[in-house]
Amino acid sequence: MALTAFLPKWPGWQRLPRESRDTLFLLGVIAWTVLPHVLHLPWWCGLLTVNVLLWRTRLALINAPLPGRWVLMAVLAAATALTLWSFKTVLGKEPGITLLVVLMALKTLELRARRDAFVVFFLGFFLVLTHFLYSQSLPVALAMLVSVWGLLTALVLAHMPVGQPSLRQAATLSLRTAVLGVPVMLLLFVLFPRIGPLWGVPQDGQATTGLSNRMRMGSVAEVAQDDSVAMRIRFIDPPPQPQAMYFRGPVLSRFDGQEWRPGDSSHSAPRSELQVRGPALRYEVTMEPLHISVLPLLEATAEVSPLEGMRAMRRDDLVWNTDRPLQQRLRFAATAYTDFKHGPVARAISLREHLALPAGFNPRTLAWAAQLGADPRYAAADARTLAQAVMNHIRTGGYTYTLAPDTYGGPSARTAIDEFWLDRKEGFCEHFASAFVVVMRALGIPSRVVTGYQGTDPLPVDGYYLVRQSHAHAWAEYWQDGIGWVRADPTAAVAPDRIVRSRHLVPAPGLVAGALGGINPQFWAKLRGAWEAANNRWNQWVLNYSRGQQLALLKQLGFSAPSWEDLALLLIGVLSGLSLLGAAWAWSDRRRQDPWQRQAQQLRRALGSIGLSAEAHESPRALGLKLRQRFGSRATALVQLLDALELQRYGRAALSRPSAPWLRAVHTETRLLRRSNTAPPPR
Amino acid sequence: MSDTLPVRPFAAFQPIAAARRRFRAWWQARLPRTDTLLLTQRNIYILPTRAGLMYGLTLLVLLLASINYQLSLGYVLTFLLAGSGVVSMHLTHNTLRKLTLHLRTPAAVFAGSPVLLDITLTSPDSARFGIGLRMEATPRDTLTWTDVPGVGRAQAQVSFVPPQRGLHAVPAINVESRFPLGLFRAWSVWRPSAQVLAYPRPEQPAMGLPLVRAEPGQATTQRRAEGGEVEGVRSYRRGDPLKLVAWKKAARSLEAGGDLVSRDTSASVQQALWLDWQQCAGLAPEDRLSRLSAWVLAAERAGASHGLRLPGLEIPPAHGDAQRRRCLEAMALWH
Repeated sequence: MALTAFLPKWPGWQRLPRESRDTLFLLGVIAWTVLPHVLHLPWWCGLLTVNVLLWRTRLALINAPLPGRWVLMAVLAAATALTLWSFKTVLGKEPGITLLVVLMALKTLELRARRDAFVVFFLGFFLVLTHFLYSQSLPVALAMLVSVWGLLTALVLAHMPVGQPSLRQAATLSLRTAVLGVPVMLLLFVLFPRIGPLWGVPQDGQATTGLSNRMRMGSVAEVAQDDSVAMRIRFIDPPPQPQAMYFRGPVLSRFDGQEWRPGDSSHSAPRSELQVRGPALRYEVTMEPLHISVLPLLEATAEVSPLEGMRAMRRDDLVWNTDRPLQQRLRFAATAYTDFKHGPVARAISLREHLALPAGFNPRTLAWAAQLGADPRYAAADARTLAQAVMNHIRTGGYTYTLAPDTYGGPSARTAIDEFWLDRKEGFCEHFASAFVVVMRALGIPSRVVTGYQGTDPLPVDGYYLVRQSHAHAWAEYWQDGIGWVRADPTAAVAPDRIVRSRHLVPAPGLVAGALGGINPQFWAKLRGAWEAANNRWNQWVLNYSRGQQLALLKQLGFSAPSWEDLALLLIGVLSGLSLLGAAWAWSDRRRQDPWQRQAQQLRRALGSIGLSAEAHESPRALGLKLRQRFGSRATALVQLLDALELQRYGRAALSRPSAPWLRAVHTETRLLRRSNTAPPPR
Repeated sequence: MSDTLPVRPFAAFQPIAAARRRFRAWWQARLPRTDTLLLTQRNIYILPTRAGLMYGLTLLVLLLASINYQLSLGYVLTFLLAGSGVVSMHLTHNTLRKLTLHLRTPAAVFAGSPVLLDITLTSPDSARFGIGLRMEATPRDTLTWTDVPGVGRAQAQVSFVPPQRGLHAVPAINVESRFPLGLFRAWSVWRPSAQVLAYPRPEQPAMGLPLVRAEPGQATTQRRAEGGEVEGVRSYRRGDPLKLVAWKKAARSLEAGGDLVSRDTSASVQQALWLDWQQCAGLAPEDRLSRLSAWVLAAERAGASHGLRLPGLEIPPAHGDAQRRRCLEAMALWH
């Protein structure tokens, strides 16, 4: 309603004046480029951008003058202030993108000279790049391809100053430019040496969804909504059972009453080796940038092939740490053993931190645990028996597994677990895991929370098992004297389905999704499979193309010990070779003649050989007359050929290029005439 | 004459600009003059524009961002734009390559008013867009834009103002293109061989025509001396009334293999209007020519027969376009 009042009546695309049409087109391209950012930028930024673009649209439609510079400066100052208010800084990724979007929108209000237009284009290319900081998926790539095409089209349009060229024409021309540029792109993409980051980039690990080093009630629920792929696994050996697929992420042993954090690894005094039994399980992982310094790998992974650009090491708690956060896609091989033991066998000092409970938190749960411990049945029970008892309680105590529990700790954050354990009794993995660990610790048994992923999609796509963010899970480990750490998954007690079939945490489908799924689930599954396969190829061939692949390519090309210097040399060599070829072509092109002129020259030479001087300006018909005068009926064939030439060049069915057979016929005829010329011509 | 570039005051204080101007003059003097120019590899120059340099800088920043954030798609974007940039260089060059420029011999004008140069651009193959033409001496943003259809021709007009009377060579013409992306500017400098005649600038405001003097002394005495019969003869023009034919002379002329002869009555019937250098006494020579030029125009408008007298030159009175042109040309070239 408000929009129709604000914007004037639409006159129709064809009837717009050229300048308005071009401006509207550019605004459309800008809106398309900015739009995906609105989701992850502050609300005011989206609002401001939309309003500025609408304002500019109105100005373009009613052909009104642009606002003065002061207005723009004021809006820019306000936007900077708002950015400071939102982020407390103007540096870094998100504030930078926010300001870039605002600048882009404001610049459209300042499109006066050609220079301003160029600034819009360049800002546009930057904006396109910023999208890749969030996602490099196939849909984003396609959307941004459209953006680049639109920007190039607008650029082409700005350089067609005459008349009213159609958008389609400009789009075709820009597409041609880009398509012709594709070989250069491929060459550079394949051969440009991939080097590591030149300087440290600000880490934004906490801002993205996925595993993190902290766990607070509710944080895994967010992950559960996220169906994006966390990693792709290809098993070289037979894949393990779904219920054995625990991908171990950060282990959280420190609890401050509200939040779980990783333990202090400094005093892991006696090094407890991982003991493995049974067959090795080799597999390959393509890991998405998870923005954490942990590789969530199958329990228990003993070895990992060298990573590209970073080092990975296994800590005592079996967590594979990296020296840098995962900011890029990684591909590596690893070996795991599903049958394993780890942790100290005898009670050690390092276990002490796994018993600590903050004072004054969750008194009722502690009392409940004390009551259980006081039960004469468990007077001399070991850790396993007690764990079984607690698991039994979870199974039979009326607990419900749900992805949408209300928030806990509403009245007081100090009693969040009390509320869950004793009152409402509904939650998902992280509630069960943290309550379980609290109860175990209260019983005097060392225990800790383990986060990671559990299970994969049931069927492999293209040989790859997909682990999605929605497979994120939290479970527990308790320490058993004489054995070490033992996994206990309290969620399995309440929702065994979640573990056994590794159905990931899918929230109840919405109305539309339910209806769509109801039509033909198989069709959707197939479609989804095809999409996953395409996406996988995209990941393997485009996004994961890195120095490893480059060097492998060089090896295939015959380099024995390729290095990135070889790559650079090869690239320079190919580029200089191509330039030389271009120069040679230009040189030959300079001496190239119009094919018709060349033919005329050859014809004159042929006629010269029989003693007929032909001038450049003489038409074939005139030459025919001369021939007839000179040779009479003997030249009839040649004269006919000349008449045919006239038709070939200027007739109704004129040829676009000279015909070679014609020239051969001319040569044959002149040769015949030359021979008969030695005999005296009949007078 | 027109090859000398406009001299600016204080040129001595801008040594770089002066050197550039001198270099350009020297360079252009080397170009052959021709009315039909085929643009080839040899006479097209190409350089990145300021926007092109900015584009390069943008690509560099995009590349740095891609390296630092390890963005595969960032590389794809950067290299795609780089490829398009390289291709655009060739396309810009191709926009001019193989184009034929032809200048129609321009009509004469008055000094101080613009000469319209009609330029025909012919493309032997594909369509060309965004071709700009300007006189080399005018500022860069005064381009006349035109598109050339594929296997076709287009017309464009540029103009220049001859500063003073005389025969001027058409100054150098600049043809350029930035199509398609504006990252490169391809241009060529063309020195046409055509020449433009500039008549003296007519005086503004025009003085009234001098009085028609019957010049009694000369005309009457001459008539009497000739016996009152023949004021003068000229060859027969189609449409002359029969009574004007000087039959006796015509018979003699025909015998000699000539043509019919008519009596030339204009001088006697109409009073001759002599536009005379001497009548503009007190003016500088160029101003005299200006006044005479204005008078010629006024006389033509009035339909009066007029003759022109300059020192060392006399054009007998006549009337019509030919006479007008003859007078103006004489004044344009007089020195």
